[in-house]
Amino acid sequence: MISVRELKKTFGNITAVDRISFEIAKGEVFGLLGPNGAGKTTTIMMLVGALRPDSGSVAIDGQPDPTRPDVRRRIGTTPQALAIYEELTAEENIRFFGKLFGLSGSRLKERTEFVLDLVGLTDRRKSKAAEYSGGMKRRLNMACSMVHDPSILLFDEPTVGVDPQSRNLIFDKIEELKVDSRTIIYTTHYMEEAQRLCNRVAIVDHGRILDIGTVDDLIGHHGGKSVITGILVEPPSRETNLPGTLTDQTQWRLESDHPIEDVARLTNDGLKFTSLKIDRPDLESVFLNLTGRRLRD
Amino acid sequence: MGAMITLAAKDLLLLLRDKFGLFWVAGFPLVMALMFGSIFGGGSGGAGSMKIAFIGEGNEQSVQGFLAELSKAEVLDILPVFSLDSAREQVMKGRYTAYVHYVDSSDGNIYSMFAGEARPTIQVGIDPSRKAERGYLQGLVNQAYFMRLQQQMTDVSGSRKALSEQLSSLDTADMNTQDRRLLGDLLGSLDHFLSQVQRADSAATADTASGDSSATSAQDFSPFGGTNIEFVDVARKTNHPRSMFEITFPQGIQWALIGCAAAFSLSIVTERTRGTYLRLRLAPIRRWQILGGKGLACFAACLVTLSILMLLGHFIFGVRLGDPWLLLVAILASSFCFVGIMMFVSVIGRTEQAVGGAGWAIFLIMAMAGGGMVPVVMMPSWMLAIGSFSPVKWSVLAIEGAIWRGFAPADMLQPVFILCAVGLVGFIIGTMILARRDR
Repeated sequence: MISVRELKKTFGNITAVDRISFEIAKGEVFGLLGPNGAGKTTTIMMLVGALRPDSGSVAIDGQPDPTRPDVRRRIGTTPQALAIYEELTAEENIRFFGKLFGLSGSRLKERTEFVLDLVGLTDRRKSKAAEYSGGMKRRLNMACSMVHDPSILLFDEPTVGVDPQSRNLIFDKIEELKVDSRTIIYTTHYMEEAQRLCNRVAIVDHGRILDIGTVDDLIGHHGGKSVITGILVEPPSRETNLPGTLTDQTQWRLESDHPIEDVARLTNDGLKFTSLKIDRPDLESVFLNLTGRRLRD
Repeated sequence: MGAMITLAAKDLLLLLRDKFGLFWVAGFPLVMALMFGSIFGGGSGGAGSMKIAFIGEGNEQSVQGFLAELSKAEVLDILPVFSLDSAREQVMKGRYTAYVHYVDSSDGNIYSMFAGEARPTIQVGIDPSRKAERGYLQGLVNQAYFMRLQQQMTDVSGSRKALSEQLSSLDTADMNTQDRRLLGDLLGSLDHFLSQVQRADSAATADTASGDSSATSAQDFSPFGGTNIEFVDVARKTNHPRSMFEITFPQGIQWALIGCAAAFSLSIVTERTRGTYLRLRLAPIRRWQILGGKGLACFAACLVTLSILMLLGHFIFGVRLGDPWLLLVAILASSFCFVGIMMFVSVIGRTEQAVGGAGWAIFLIMAMAGGGMVPVVMMPSWMLAIGSFSPVKWSVLAIEGAIWRGFAPADMLQPVFILCAVGLVGFIIGTMILARRDR
């Protein structure tokens, strides 16, 4: 279990993290969703003891000092920036970090093989990292943080600058790790990633948590209504009780809490559509409603 | 310790993979040592002359004749001395390249060797490492010896007189009758031959050209066998460098230390800018272990490079190892010092450009002031005084102290203490600044 209480960090006049608090249960995938500069990385760095908070506290499995070697052995952090030695091969990188975390002998060999296979780099294990594509470097970056078999994994924007193929592979691997009941903290500014991977999400902006909850809860509370847009085959008759707004006689738009039910009722009433589209609220709309800005603004 | 060794091994592997960086650590210092060594001549005696101590014993005429012939070699600067011990001492102290001990116990009659008497013996005492000078000197001594013989042989009237004396002494010589008869016939024939030469010379007194021709043929005539030259090894015990390489290799070592310190100071800032330092900090190791690993790698690189340089210098360029234990202490202290300087330089800036630029500026000033460019022995006194603030000077002094300055362990204390102190201060300051930045 991870517990963060009133964590605060300032850099000069800038408050990067402002009294953040949350708890993460064992086996949970917890997302920190927010735009660049929201304070996600600073929070992660304080969580693992790489930055000293101005105030507040962190406890990992009840242990208040994350810099203790026994605590660090339980954590695997994939930094946002690539943190690999480009002049070393994938295998050399992984073995080096494995040794730093106390692995040796057959255990080191076994774990090296496992993570190379996990991130799909077994065939290129002898190539220098400098010769890898951006996506392969990202995967190696992940592998280096998992070699010591940590029970807590922190992924700090692991898909930044990654091609779609590598991104999907990274998602698949994180989903495999979810099944393995590891605790995962995942920071991102891509709402699709948080929506796909996380059990719970904290919406972060300007160093503060705006809300925390499951994706459905957040959308339910802050996402607003679904938007139905459609083009009618013919303009509706005067008698038809059509909710929403109509422009150019056939262009129809409706905001609804129950879009499927509304569409079903209208088609039963004999209304015919050339095209129909339902936009459900998502975390993007949650962020928009909470901050008045889009995630990628 | 295991983590530090893992970190150090990784850094050394990275250094080995960086060919350009490796050149500055290992190649450049060797180039510097060889370049300066070649510029300054590679020999302490200078290119123009070889100082020789000469001791002559026995037949005065023979000794003077040989000395006169030997002195004709312009490359030799010969000083006659009166005792062999004194000559040996001068060579041991390095004041003279060699000594030549010429002993002619004969009566001066060049034909006495036919009666079984000893030929002159020549002993050359020279340091065994001076292979080139030894060969050169052997040639000059041989030349002087044969020129002396030729001179005696071409003096026809003198030769006939000597033959006559030798013939008359045959009657009392200690040899059997058959040998006496054979030698009598030989000397008689030789006397006859010389009388004909004398008549021919008289008939053509004005014709100098035919005289030259006869001299040329006499030059080729060598019935007396080789010279009797014995070489004696006289290892120098001197507080002077045996060759300029003994000055330039300690200098080259400074560049190796600077190269290592520059490379590893950059590696710390590179780790920071490339993000790997963060990953190291997230590992279950302490900051001092991370920095200790860097220091260990730098220290190991210094030791390996310095050892290679010293071995190359010793086996190829004749640089002495002097007192190997003191040399080891000097190398260890110098390496430690530069590890500390590396730690300090690594935190001067936050980017590779800042650290690289400032680092080399500091290293160059240290090298200039401390004797990394101009040898300490050639520095004016004011520069020596300034150089006392440069660790390079103390490192050069410690290494030279072990190699050729003849330092006793007590003499080594001062430079070693200063080097260790500088290293320790650099390490502490560097670590403190780095720790402060990590917050």
